Amino acid sequence: MKRRRIRKKISNHNPILEIIHYNNTKIGYFYNMRTVQKRRALLLIVLILAMTTAVSIRLGYVMIFQSERYLKLAKDLHQREREIKAPRGVIYDRNGVILAGNRAVCSISVIHSQITDPERVITQLSSILDIDEEEIRKKVETISAREKIKSNVSKEIANQIRDQKLDGVMVDEDYKRYYPYEELASTVLGFTGADNQGIIGLEVTYESVLKGKNGKILTMTDGKGKEIKNAEEERQEPVAGKDLYLTMDVHIQKYAQQICEKVKIAKKAKRVSMVVMNPQNGEIFAMVNVPEFNLNEPYKLKNVKNTDQMSAKKKQEKLNQMWRNWCVNDTYEPGSTFKIVTAAAGLESGAVKESDTFSCPGFRIVEDRRIRCHKAGGHGGETFREGVMNSCNPVFMDVAARVGKKRMYDYYKKLGLFEKTGIDVPGEANSIMHALKNIGAVELATMAFGQSIQITPLQLLRAASAAVNGGKLITPHFGLKTSKEVLKYEERQGALSSSTSALLRDILEDVVSEGSGKRAKIEGYKIGGKTATSEKLPRRTGKYISSFLGFASAEHPTVMALILIDEPEGVYYGGTIAAPAVKELFENILPYLGMKQSFDS
Amino acid sequence: MAKKQPRKYFDYPMLFVVLFLVGFGLVMIYSTSSYTSQIRYGNTTHWLVRQAAIAAGSLFLMFLVTRIDYRIFKKKAWANMAYAASIISLLAVLALGVVTKGSKRWISIGGIQLQPSEFAKLFLIVFLAYYLSVNSHKIKTFWGSLKWVLICLPIIGLVIVENLSTAIVLCAITGILIFVISPCSKQLIGLAAGVVGLGTAYLVFGPAYRMERIQIWLDPEHHEKGLQTMQSLYAIGSGGIFGKGLGQSMQKMGFIPESHNDMIFSIVCEELGLFGAFAVIAIFLVLIWRMLIIAMNAQDLFGSLIAIGVAVHVSIQMLINVGVVTNLFPPTGIPLPFISYGGSSLMVLLLEMGLVLSVSRQIKI
Repeated sequence: MKRRRIRKKISNHNPILEIIHYNNTKIGYFYNMRTVQKRRALLLIVLILAMTTAVSIRLGYVMIFQSERYLKLAKDLHQREREIKAPRGVIYDRNGVILAGNRAVCSISVIHSQITDPERVITQLSSILDIDEEEIRKKVETISAREKIKSNVSKEIANQIRDQKLDGVMVDEDYKRYYPYEELASTVLGFTGADNQGIIGLEVTYESVLKGKNGKILTMTDGKGKEIKNAEEERQEPVAGKDLYLTMDVHIQKYAQQICEKVKIAKKAKRVSMVVMNPQNGEIFAMVNVPEFNLNEPYKLKNVKNTDQMSAKKKQEKLNQMWRNWCVNDTYEPGSTFKIVTAAAGLESGAVKESDTFSCPGFRIVEDRRIRCHKAGGHGGETFREGVMNSCNPVFMDVAARVGKKRMYDYYKKLGLFEKTGIDVPGEANSIMHALKNIGAVELATMAFGQSIQITPLQLLRAASAAVNGGKLITPHFGLKTSKEVLKYEERQGALSSSTSALLRDILEDVVSEGSGKRAKIEGYKIGGKTATSEKLPRRTGKYISSFLGFASAEHPTVMALILIDEPEGVYYGGTIAAPAVKELFENILPYLGMKQSFDS
Repeated sequence: MAKKQPRKYFDYPMLFVVLFLVGFGLVMIYSTSSYTSQIRYGNTTHWLVRQAAIAAGSLFLMFLVTRIDYRIFKKKAWANMAYAASIISLLAVLALGVVTKGSKRWISIGGIQLQPSEFAKLFLIVFLAYYLSVNSHKIKTFWGSLKWVLICLPIIGLVIVENLSTAIVLCAITGILIFVISPCSKQLIGLAAGVVGLGTAYLVFGPAYRMERIQIWLDPEHHEKGLQTMQSLYAIGSGGIFGKGLGQSMQKMGFIPESHNDMIFSIVCEELGLFGAFAVIAIFLVLIWRMLIIAMNAQDLFGSLIAIGVAVHVSIQMLINVGVVTNLFPPTGIPLPFISYGGSSLMVLLLEMGLVLSVSRQIKI
C-alpha cells in the first residue's frame, strides 16, 4: 500500500486555514470547514435549540394552562344565542273559557355585522314599520350583537319584511297577550308589557306561574356573524308557562258588568263597582270596576280625545287611575253595611239579644254631640231585630256602647278588619282605624254605623261572609288552580259562633224581605242583605257612596254580592238605587248557579 | 491497482423531511382556506390549487438543482449576478411594486406576482457563501469582517423599508455566516448585540406604528388593534393538548383573516393540538439538524456556508413565526417555511433545499 502524498497542515498564521502539500510542496489552500468553524456551527445549533425551547415553553403554556380561558373566550366569540320564546300561560275562567290567550307575532331586529346595504335596510324598515328613519338609522349603526327595532309586529307585516330579503334583518317569532273579551274584568286580569311581563292585576300576581322559560338555540357563526350550516347546535327547549284557571265566571262577570254600566249611566255615577263572591270559600265569581278599559289597548285613555298635549306624567297619572281596582286598592267609609259587624259583635258578646228593645227619637246625644238617625222623626220603640231592619243608628250606637271599644276591636280583629284579606290581586290596601286609646264615646258611636273607619270593599265582604257562613274567615281569591296544582287558601274557623251566624242570616233576610233592603227582594228566593248610604269626606258636599250587600240563599249563602255606586246623581239611598241592582244580578245568576225558587209561603 | 471509487452520498432523510413539510403545508392550506375560499370564490380549492401548482413546479426545480453540482455556482460571476439581481429587483419593487395589504412587496412580471425580498434571501446566501469562502483566509480582523457586513447592507436596507421581518432574516443570515468564518467572534457578538439594541430603540422610538406593535405585544387583550393577536391566541389556546382534529378549526372561519398565510401555525395548533405543534417543530429541527450535518461534512467551505445560510433562513423564520403567533414576539408578518401560503417563499425555499441536497451529494464517505 502506497502512502498518500497529499498532506494537510494547519497554517501557523491563521488557525482556520489549511495548507495543502503535495510531496511536501505547497500547492494551495484548502477551504474546508475547520474545527473552529465547526465549533461555531455547533454554537448555532445550541442557539437554535435554546430559542426552540423558549418557543415550545410558550406554546405549552398557552395550550395547557391558558387553554381553558382561551377556549371559553373563543366560544363566546363563535356562539350566537337565538332566543326561542316560550308562550305565556293561558288564563281561563272557572268553566275553561279563555280570558287571556296568546297570539303569534314577530319581533324585528338588526344585526350590525350582517347588514350589507344599510340604506336599503333603513328605508325599507322605516316604510314598512312606519318608524322614523333616524331612529332606525341609529340602531342600524350601533355596533352590537343585536338591536331590537320593534316587537309585537303582526305576521303579515313580518312577512312583508321577510320578502324584502334584507341582509342583517332578523324576524323572530314571539307571542303577544290577547284578551278576547277586551274590557271584561280589565282591572282584575291586568295586562302584560312588551316583554310579556305582567304590568297590573292577576298577570302580576301569577307572573311566576304564567311566565314560561324562554329556550335558546346556540348557533356557531363565522367571523362575519353568519351562521355556519350543519354546525353543532346547542338547543334549549322553551318551557311554556303554566295555565291559570280562575274562580271567575265569565257569564256572571258579564252580567255584573252590564248592571254596573247601566247603573252608572242611569245615576250619572263617577264609577260603579261590584264584587260577587262565594262567602263559603272566598271564590270570587266577578269583580267589576266601571268604567273598565280595553285590555288590548291598555295605554289608550278613555274619553280623552287629545292625549298629545298631555304631559307624560299627567298621562301616566290618568292611566293609573284608569287601571285602578277600586274594590281592592282603595278604602272607603262603609256606612250602614258595617252594621253587620256591629250586630255580630253585639250578639256574639251577649251584649244584646235580638228581642232587646230600644227607642229611637231620631238622634242620640253622645257626650256633647247630637248624632242623628237617618229617619228624622225617629223609629220610636223597636226591638234589636227591627233596629237592624230599619238600619236605625241609635240602636247600633247603644249596642256599640254596651260592647265597649276594647271588645269591639277584638271582634274587628276576629273578623279580619285589621289585616289585608290576602286576595291574589296586587296592591291591596289595608283598613284605617283609630288607635284604641283615641276612641272616645263619639268615635265608638259613629263606628257602630260604619263611619270614622276606612276599610276596603273586600274587607267588608270578608267580614260579612264570616257573619253569615257560620263564622269562618275566608280568603277572597281568583286563582282556582294552575295546570299543575290546585291552589289553596287560608280559612280561619271560629271568627263567630255558628249560632250567632245563623241568627244574623235570619235578621239580614228580614232586612230584605221586610226592611230597608226590600228592593232587593225576589219572589221565591230567600235573600239576605244590608243597605248603606255613606256620605263621602269631606261631609256636606252632597257626594255619597250608595251600596248594598246581598247574599243568597239566606239559609245557606253561596253567593254574596256587594255593589258600590260612587257619587250618584239624584236619589242616592243605597236601599233605593243599589239594592235593585243586586236584585237584577241575582235574578240572572241565581238560576244559573242552580238555586231553585221555592214558593212555600 | 484498482482505484477505489468513493461512494456517493445523498441526504435522503432531508429530502423526505422536505417532501413531508411541503405535503403537510398543502393539507393545512386546504384546511385553513377552504371555508373562506368557498365564500369568496365559490369553490373550496382556490388557494390549494395555486399553492399545489407552485409546489409541483418548485419541487421539479429542486430536483434539477440537486442533479447539478453546486460547485458550478462557485464563480465570481454568479455571486456578483446574485448581488446585482437582489439590488435591481428590490429597487424595482420600490419603484413599480404592487401594494397589497398596505405593503409594497410584490412585483408583477407577465401576470405572475413575485416577491423579490424572498429571492433576496437565496441570492444573499449564494453571494456570501462565495465571497466568504474564497476570502476566508483573508478575514483575520474585525474590520475585515465588518467590510462584508457593510457590503450586504444595501440589500438589507432596501428590504427594511417595507418588510422589517424579512430584513431581520437577512441580517441573521449575514451575521451568522460571517460569524462562522471570522476569527473575531467576540467583537462580532458585540456588534450583533449593538444591532439588536439599535433595532429595539428603533421600535420604541421609531415610527408610531412600530411603537404601537410593542404596545399590542405587551397587552393584546386590551389594545384596540390587538384583536388579530388575540384571535391567534384563541385558536392556539382552544387547541389544547390534542387539538380539535384536522379540519375542525373554528378560528379559520373568518376570525383569523387569511388564516392560510402567516397565522397558519395557530390553526395547526387549534386542529392538531400541542402534540401536533410540537411534532411540526420537531420536524423543522430534524431538517435544520440535517442541513448542519451537511454543512459540517461538505466538500468545501462554499457548500458548508450555503447549508448554514439555508439552515439559518429556515430556523429563524420558523422561530419568529411561532413566536409571533404565540405573542412571544411583537406582531410581524413572516411566513412559516413550507407551510404558509405563498409562491415566492415556497419556490425560494425549495431552490435552497435543492442547493443543500446538491451539497450533500458531493460529500464523500
